[in-house]
Amino acid sequence: MLIKLIFSILILVFLQSCGQDNHIRTYQLAKTKAPVNKPRVETPEKKSTGFSWTKPGSWIASSGSSMRLASFDVPFSGGMGDLSVIQLGGTGGSIEANVNRWRRQLNLDSQSLFEIEKEMIDYKGGLGDYKIIRIINEELDSAFLCAILPAGNQTLFVKLSADPKGIREIETDFISFCSSLIISI
Amino acid sequence: MRIKDIINFLKQPKIFVFAIIWMMMLVVLGTLAQKDMGLYAAQNRYFSAWITWFWFIPMPGGRLTLIIILINLSFFFFKKSIWKIKKLGIVILHLGGILLLVGGGLTAMFSSEGNMVIEESAQSNHVEDYHFMELAIINTSASSFDEFTIFDQPLLKRNQVLAHANLNFEIEIINYLENCEPTKRNSPAGIQHKGMLKNFMLSELKPEKEDNWNRPGMIYKISNSGTNADGMYGIFLGQPISQTVSVNNKDYTIILRRKRTYLPFSIELLDFKKILHPGTDIPKSYSSDINLIENGAVRKILIQMNEPLRHKGYTFFQSSFIEGPNSETTVLAVVKNYGRLFPYISSIIMCIGLLFHLSQKLPDLFRKSKEKIAV
Repeated sequence: MLIKLIFSILILVFLQSCGQDNHIRTYQLAKTKAPVNKPRVETPEKKSTGFSWTKPGSWIASSGSSMRLASFDVPFSGGMGDLSVIQLGGTGGSIEANVNRWRRQLNLDSQSLFEIEKEMIDYKGGLGDYKIIRIINEELDSAFLCAILPAGNQTLFVKLSADPKGIREIETDFISFCSSLIISI
Repeated sequence: MRIKDIINFLKQPKIFVFAIIWMMMLVVLGTLAQKDMGLYAAQNRYFSAWITWFWFIPMPGGRLTLIIILINLSFFFFKKSIWKIKKLGIVILHLGGILLLVGGGLTAMFSSEGNMVIEESAQSNHVEDYHFMELAIINTSASSFDEFTIFDQPLLKRNQVLAHANLNFEIEIINYLENCEPTKRNSPAGIQHKGMLKNFMLSELKPEKEDNWNRPGMIYKISNSGTNADGMYGIFLGQPISQTVSVNNKDYTIILRRKRTYLPFSIELLDFKKILHPGTDIPKSYSSDINLIENGAVRKILIQMNEPLRHKGYTFFQSSFIEGPNSETTVLAVVKNYGRLFPYISSIIMCIGLLFHLSQKLPDLFRKSKEKIAV
């Protein structure tokens, strides 16, 4: 009798672990309301090019070059970083081509797409999903923090140039800035 | 006679010895393998599996080995010689061991873990699983509610046909990809391709070491709708624009997402606090001020590192955070473990068993030692 009981329990345990439920569930949920956006701490800056953003308070707008949608001097404990926002039509070239161009600017060898993608970090912001990559040449004491943000039929490239320590200090603000970029009407 | 033979075989202590040695080897192999194949895959291959394949040789996996140990320990009670007051300590010790294994079994079979992501001032009442996906088909036609039909991960496999009374169509899974990326289509799409497949393809990628880095995707065919919604579609995790189809005046949204478990209460994030080590960007501690909302009653609670919230069998740990431009978002790791108390209880029982056994043996030991001195 005891044997039968033990074997019955073991068979039940085995059957349970096999998962006999049919894996289909149904339920109803009340419709969710669209989230209400809280007022921004800083007023977004609007550009005639159709994008707006919220920049950290310490960043200073600079003139930059004509190619740039926006330029900022970014102070950090060891000096001043340079941040540029460039807008290109379509994808603006492949990720591999753009990252390797930046790597060459830092005297680094090119990498394969697989290697590049391993180093890229995905974020979500006002323009949707975007990617950030750190490119550091310790020997030159130079580094870039670059973001590639697809925005409909164009792509924004945000590049921060500083020394490796500066990149680490500014990274959080850089991510906040990239996440704040939106298409303005 | 035959039953007696079986009992005699199953209660042999050498089964326990071999099983425990094999379990130790599995632990070593699994620990080494997780470096290359990732923690989740190693766990599945060596510890959660019934059978582990070494090349073409099947060997007992962790689950089967532990079941063998459990059976062997259970059959220990069939020994007539143990039912004496002298052996009570040993009996209690075995009982503790069995309880530990039962707790492990409950954890393996019924526990779930995932995370809850809440932005400041927002509420959430669901947990997203770390590993399992689900295909959610949401009928959005009603004005006040959405009707969800959920197909769990075990059904999401190639050639599986998904159908339910709630749906006016069938879904046939053409291919399920564990990891994929959407790529721009080089050649024009066929007439059967609908939705994102008109412009994109899903290219299969090698699965990542860490399971939650994968982006699963699926190619599926809608049929028997009797409308022009019939066709071939594609879907992937985190797709920015969800696929919608309209069948017989009913609108459906189709989403591949992490498996959701809805809780009988909600959590509202009031404030997320992060304290850094001075002069660095390294977090010293972070905490979430939350409101636990249940049946209209609101209770304010602080969740911080090493001080989780335990409520209705769920444990909420402060796990991570996301910094946004306007507000912060907390990430709480949520664990439901039915076997949570078993290790504590069984450890106490085993300690009692050992103490009992020791207290019975001590007088003999003292006596022997006195005799030795006398000699």
